[in-house]
Amino acid sequence: MNFLAASIESLGAKVVGWFTVGYGMFAFLVQATLLLLERATWNRATFDVVIKQVYFTAVQILHVFLGYVLVISWLIITIILSTARDFGLTEFASEMTIRVLVLELLPFLTALFIALRSGSAINTEVALMQVNSELDALAHCKVPPMQFEFLPRLIGGVISSVTLAGLAGLLALLLGYLAIYGTTAAGFEPYTQTIAKIFDFRIVAGLVIKCALFGLAVTLIPVTAGLETPKKLFMVPVSVLRGMMRVFFAIVAIEVVSLALKYI
Amino acid sequence: MNKLHFKVGLFTAASLLLAGAFVVYLLHARGFFEKTYHLQLAAASADGVAPGVPIVFSGIEIGRVTTLGLNDSGGIVIRTEFLERNAKWLKETSTFTLDKPLVGGAKIRVDSPDLNAPALPDNSTMLLLTSDISKEIPALVERVKAILANVEYLTRKDGEINATLANFKTLSGRMTGEHGMLEGILGSPEKARAVTDSLDKTRALMARLDSLAAKSDQWLFAKEGVAEQTRESLVQMRQMLSDAQASLKKADTLMANAVEISADVKEGTQDLAALRTEIDDAVRKANALVNEINKKWPFARDPEVKLP
Repeated sequence: MNFLAASIESLGAKVVGWFTVGYGMFAFLVQATLLLLERATWNRATFDVVIKQVYFTAVQILHVFLGYVLVISWLIITIILSTARDFGLTEFASEMTIRVLVLELLPFLTALFIALRSGSAINTEVALMQVNSELDALAHCKVPPMQFEFLPRLIGGVISSVTLAGLAGLLALLLGYLAIYGTTAAGFEPYTQTIAKIFDFRIVAGLVIKCALFGLAVTLIPVTAGLETPKKLFMVPVSVLRGMMRVFFAIVAIEVVSLALKYI
Repeated sequence: MNKLHFKVGLFTAASLLLAGAFVVYLLHARGFFEKTYHLQLAAASADGVAPGVPIVFSGIEIGRVTTLGLNDSGGIVIRTEFLERNAKWLKETSTFTLDKPLVGGAKIRVDSPDLNAPALPDNSTMLLLTSDISKEIPALVERVKAILANVEYLTRKDGEINATLANFKTLSGRMTGEHGMLEGILGSPEKARAVTDSLDKTRALMARLDSLAAKSDQWLFAKEGVAEQTRESLVQMRQMLSDAQASLKKADTLMANAVEISADVKEGTQDLAALRTEIDDAVRKANALVNEINKKWPFARDPEVKLP
């Protein structure tokens, strides 16, 4: 009986913990959004931080990212094409390539890429600031951390995620054309037809929203996880670990929900 | 110049440019800058057709079905949409067929046999034909079943084909025997031997016939042979016949004289006796001739020459 009660209690504690974390994130997001709508937020200083964030999240890694996209897209396009040929389904190959790569795989990989590189860094930084009470000091000096530290990270994350996923998608479209039709312009009409068939307004809007949500997830969750850190240095790795786990689950959840909305 | 700002600016500008270009391209691809072209298809049944079903020309999608509906008389009207650049493939002679393949979704196939025919005007109505493979499958399965049943019946145990094969096996077994195919056809080595024996006998007979023919040849045509003798006899015969003819002519004149003379019986008695002798002589010669001919020539045996 005791055991049962203990399990129910631990389950309840977990659920309450999830809700606390979820609520914390939601409250933070609402706070950030409200701040975003305020005129005072949009000054030169905030803008500079946003630009810095975009630089560190997207521009600095652009060549590595595009090389990685090139390799993975080429591989997957080749696999899809040869499989389609083997099964006599060549007419569906281009559509399949675009759907798999541009709509699903590349945004997902972009989110993972940003999460592993920038998300973990943000989490550690915020956790260290929290442990060292730097945030309190900033607030004390009338430099609100929300405006100058957190909001620019969120904006930079969203912009980077959407842009990088878009660039990767365009590169994949180009590679797909080259893989299917070669360097002639003969396939332009049918390829355009396929693209027109796939990218209707709903799909494009869904893609942009999905990428934005990915960008938000890989920055918002590390920031809140960092803010939750108790003021003990040894808790920093634990905070990063928790934050990264949440980021991973959030990315998978967004992908699953987007797939479900698209195809079910 | 702030290097960081420049890089970010370049990145943003390039991204925005690409995004803008892609949006324009997408709008072009989706026909935003073009007139859309409408076509109604009348069909007996809307089975398998749904909004979004592609319309293909030569395997390339040129349009899609937008809506389905019923007209006032209960017929199906399928409304379709084409971009203007694709509408040029629709001619007045075009046929529209609903294809429902076993694998893949349904599609409407456009066939334009004559590309020089006048273009189909906007908002026109055409007939949609149906070629549904899946409807033919049950009939096909029935026929295949019947064929399989027949095959099964033919190949059953103790069936005709098995029996035939067994017979064929014994036949080919016999054919490999001492007398080969002959044994195979006749059924046993004894019969085959009888045939070969008869053949041997026939061969001997032929040899004998051959020598016989050679002998007959000699007998008939050699010097002093039958043929030469016959020729000589014919010459003699002709001579004898002319003799007989002469005698008969004499008899004729004598008979004429006899008629003249008959008035004077007395005077004519001596002449009559001489005539009698001459006729007898002639008849005897003729008989002798006939006998001679009979001897040489095996004709009908009627040796007497009848006197008039």
